[in-house]
Amino acid sequence: MDWSVIWSNHDLYLSGLWSTVLMSLAAIATATLLGLVVAAIRTSRIPVLSQVARAYLEVFRGTPLLIQMLFIYFGAAYLSGFGITVFGAALLALTLYQGAYIAEIFRAGIEAVPRGQWEAARVLGLPRTQTFVGVILPQTRAIVLPPLVGQYLSLIKDTSIAVVIGYVELVRQGQAVIDRVGSPATSYVAVAVLYFVICYPLSLLVRHMERKAVTA
Amino acid sequence: MMITDPAAQQTAVTTSRISLSGVHKRFGDLEVLKGVDVDVESGEVVVLIGASGSGKSTLLRIMCDLERADSGEVWVGGVPLHDRKRAPEIFGHVGMVFQQFNLFPHKTALGNVMLALLKVRKLGRAEAEERGRAALKRVGLDTKADSYPAQLSGGQQQRVAIARALAMDPAIMFFDEPTSALDPELVGEVTGVMRSLAEEGMTMVVVTHEMRFAKDTADRVIFMDGGVVLEQGPPERVFGSPAEARTQQFLHRVLDT
Repeated sequence: MDWSVIWSNHDLYLSGLWSTVLMSLAAIATATLLGLVVAAIRTSRIPVLSQVARAYLEVFRGTPLLIQMLFIYFGAAYLSGFGITVFGAALLALTLYQGAYIAEIFRAGIEAVPRGQWEAARVLGLPRTQTFVGVILPQTRAIVLPPLVGQYLSLIKDTSIAVVIGYVELVRQGQAVIDRVGSPATSYVAVAVLYFVICYPLSLLVRHMERKAVTA
Repeated sequence: MMITDPAAQQTAVTTSRISLSGVHKRFGDLEVLKGVDVDVESGEVVVLIGASGSGKSTLLRIMCDLERADSGEVWVGGVPLHDRKRAPEIFGHVGMVFQQFNLFPHKTALGNVMLALLKVRKLGRAEAEERGRAALKRVGLDTKADSYPAQLSGGQQQRVAIARALAMDPAIMFFDEPTSALDPELVGEVTGVMRSLAEEGMTMVVVTHEMRFAKDTADRVIFMDGGVVLEQGPPERVFGSPAEARTQQFLHRVLDT
């Protein structure tokens, strides 16, 4: 393998890496927020709303992200008559898909907090949202964080699916190098290594947190 | 010292009296309360006793709106809890002490006591801290202000829970088996705090298995059995010469052990 092609095209890889990181950070933020809201609705047992939340979970966990992304970019844009940017469509699909998993992670954490915590807060006069944010959520940290960061790992790798709607990220830039100079094996190894560079620190963090959770 | 408390001025919690009539409650097929009438006067200390399953804890939880009566009238501190719109008015104005303490584990003792002062009473930090520390002092734990619940003994945790409720200046204090989760040698420090509250004139409703506390602190003892009030009166009378056979059996069982 000829490793010099990597260095001579390093600007392409770096720009791809940046696009991947940007999409990952944006989707982590929005999917976490969506997951939190959906988990709050699910655990509140508000009649209609919690059933809507449940239906959302089933649909987005039960269908492939690839299809969701294609549908949002090509299908929904066509149906509504409004255009959507490639970045916007990829972000929306990742948010909806990952948000469904993240919601279940938060729900498990929320349900592990004893009911007495809600009751104590209620008699003290704390409003529900205040109780959720100030009392319940902080107690879910040990349960939620390890699987949550694990889910972020899968989200980061899932950003590569955005290639199918034309988002120019790490994989696409790797292909661009191949189109230009060949050596697919070298280029794909480089791409894989760059994903690993993003993900490995996170998986070390998960392992560290899990060890702490066991000893705590 | 004058304590300015805007929330207290708005509320309808104007008395410390409790009046329940015809209260029924069922959980599925199980009828837990079968028509209960109870009145508590301002400044009175009432202890509910009875076997587990007699409905005493459910009755207490109805008095602080943690459970809803299926039928009957429930007036607490001037608020009709049977009126769903008005029931939440009592939150923040009555205190509840739970068997499992239910302290917020991620907050220090002072943090636990201050939370509702900041978020419900909307006090400034300095004033909330002053009132929080004063509440901890009342239960003898001013030196443990910065400890987390996990660093405190069960008895200390329960005293922090009492301080958390007291800091809100409650009209009534409810206690749901406050010493049942404690090691025997820690029971005394909690009943001691409760006794001093009673002496200060706090209106209290207490569910407990501590018969000594009932005997020497209660103004009135209510014996519940099978979802009804079977017998009530001053502790000397209920303990000394119980009228009902069921009361005699129960007292015989608990006082022997």
